[in-house]
Amino acid sequence: MTRPPARYRIITATLLTIAALYFLTPVYWLVISTTKNTADLFGTFGFWFSRHPHPIDHLTAVLTYDHGSYLRWFANSLLYAGIGATTATLLSAAAGYALAKYAFPGRETVFNIVLAGVLIPGTALALPLYFLFSEMGLSNTYWAVLLPSAVSPFGVYLCRIYAAAAVPDSLLEAARIDGAGEARIFAGLGLRLMTPALVTVFLFQFVHIWNNYFLPLVMLSDSGLYPIQLGLTSWTGYADRRPELYQYTVGGAFLSVVPLMILMTVLQKYWRTGLTDGSVKA
Amino acid sequence: MSTHHLPRRTLLGTAAATAAGLTLAGCGTGTERGGPPRERKKGQRITLTFWSWVPGIDKPVDLWNRHHPDVHVTVEKVSAVNGQQYAKMHAAIKAGNPPDLGQIEYPVIPGFLLDNGLRDLAPLGAARHKNRFVGWQWQQSVFGNGIYAIPQASGPMGLFLRQDLFDKWDIETPHTWDDYESAARTVRKKGAWIDTFAPTNGNRFAGFAWQAGATWYTTHGDTWIIHIDDGPTRKVADYWEALVKQQLVKTIPDRQNAWYKDIQTGAVPAWLGASWGDALLAGNAPATHGNWRAAPMPQWTKGADAQANWGGSATTVFAAATYPEDALEFALWLNTDPASLALLIDGGYGFPSAKKGYTTTDLDVDKEFFGGQHYSTVFADAGAHVDTRWKWGPGVDTLYQRLGDAFTDALGDGSSFRSALTKVQAHTLTDLKDKGLKVESGG
Repeated sequence: MTRPPARYRIITATLLTIAALYFLTPVYWLVISTTKNTADLFGTFGFWFSRHPHPIDHLTAVLTYDHGSYLRWFANSLLYAGIGATTATLLSAAAGYALAKYAFPGRETVFNIVLAGVLIPGTALALPLYFLFSEMGLSNTYWAVLLPSAVSPFGVYLCRIYAAAAVPDSLLEAARIDGAGEARIFAGLGLRLMTPALVTVFLFQFVHIWNNYFLPLVMLSDSGLYPIQLGLTSWTGYADRRPELYQYTVGGAFLSVVPLMILMTVLQKYWRTGLTDGSVKA
Repeated sequence: MSTHHLPRRTLLGTAAATAAGLTLAGCGTGTERGGPPRERKKGQRITLTFWSWVPGIDKPVDLWNRHHPDVHVTVEKVSAVNGQQYAKMHAAIKAGNPPDLGQIEYPVIPGFLLDNGLRDLAPLGAARHKNRFVGWQWQQSVFGNGIYAIPQASGPMGLFLRQDLFDKWDIETPHTWDDYESAARTVRKKGAWIDTFAPTNGNRFAGFAWQAGATWYTTHGDTWIIHIDDGPTRKVADYWEALVKQQLVKTIPDRQNAWYKDIQTGAVPAWLGASWGDALLAGNAPATHGNWRAAPMPQWTKGADAQANWGGSATTVFAAATYPEDALEFALWLNTDPASLALLIDGGYGFPSAKKGYTTTDLDVDKEFFGGQHYSTVFADAGAHVDTRWKWGPGVDTLYQRLGDAFTDALGDGSSFRSALTKVQAHTLTDLKDKGLKVESGG
């Protein structure tokens, strides 16, 4: 591989640095703000510490306020995002694999309908879903958030494209000749070959569910079922009367990005290799 | 810089989208969940669900549950950012599964009447409890012969000011709006601004109009008569326009980042606020401890005692509640029982609607912050002199958005505040007609 000319390297590095600053500045603000109380939050310079930083005290207060409801929301978020993203990934893998590797009548129609699903924003579906779930008696339950989170049209799309490129037909033929059943081939070969795509789908869906606000807002009324996003807004809604809630909300927001950071760091290597794998093989 | 106000606009959008979706989805009234209302048999155990957002509401409810084992109340804390809780309640009414009880603010009550969401408590004998509550607050839930909620709290308005700075600058506490304007001039000379005219704060502007004697909504038979640009409101609009044009007030939103900073530094040494502002000032500007005082709102006529309200809510029973009598009993207990009131005051819920069961000094939670002043007596007096003719109408959220847009435009292009009112009046007539209501202009 030849090195690109210095000029391009400088331009690339500059652009990437700007992008990194752009994305990291809010995180930096969040970290600084976590150390401040409500008065300092408004009264001191946002990008530097106040005279009395108390990160530990503040985060402890976040975790213990109102009988530790934040911990409950945190656990709920992990449950919704963890189970939702896992299920969505497996369903997407199966659907994408089937669409890529089996010829059947109506295949393109099914695929196009799924594609249409990518284009419809989740917010537009939240209210109809609410009426549907109320009819079934499932509103205000864990299922009300888990079931809609368990499907990912984008995941199906990605898995189909990826499976078409990364799972060779010849390999499937060989497995069939060896006497393996279709389910076994999918589980043993398909899933393994599709791992990079699956990691991507999982990550996307996890972040999507983690940040999803509108669906839980519409579906849930019991704060014991809330995910973090909804819980934190319920705090800001009353911050006029209880000003310390501003500070708790900021602290809570900081804690809520930590799992995403960890997830990104851990899964990053699969993701990177995955994307290049796909492009080379395609 | 802070994250907390950024979502506001997006949420407003979302709330509006929700409301729009609801109008589309819900032609026709909610289906009843539990069939016709029933009377609880003696000894039968039931559970009532109660949607509220006041932190600390669980304490009085726990107390109720300890003393009333047969009627267990479960609190579900709903999120109360930009009226989302109401969007949820409307959706639940349409879906046929609202809770039994809910906390709703006075301005939104008429909106719930539109989808027949609330139970009329008059046939259950609610009228005989009328005298236990402050008159005008009781009237907020009375429409025709119906009584649709039990008042819980209010927010009588007043003037918060930095006494130390006012003394230093040799400014007397303003008693009239003329005094206020000359005080504003002095404050400006000292390099500060007396207050801000927050263009998007419809609630506060409504309070100013209310004090001046405006009545934005009246009814005649089943027709709503709208007078957003009536004489008193025009007077208020002219007044604030003059302050803005002379650059005697800021035009930033109150209760957001920049304003909080100004309150801390003294760049804004006064605030026309409401009784619940005590916690807000004490919590956000702790360094100004001891320097604040509360005074009555300035008057239009010297020596008059016209007051207004900003905020406050009621406990309502939804139409689909299976055991409305027990729900009503709980609502009455919650808002009148002295033990319950003590716990609510502790949680910071507002100014009690009940006449008895507490003493005004119980409300001086931040007395030391106000230099030892019994500031709650100011608000108690204000609450007793709020104009009782004021009524809210349907679609107040939309009205506030309209007002906010119109004032923002006026500030931007320098057009008159009166023309903003004319615009809002016209829009509101159309908005209500579009809801299928009979509307007339009260011009």
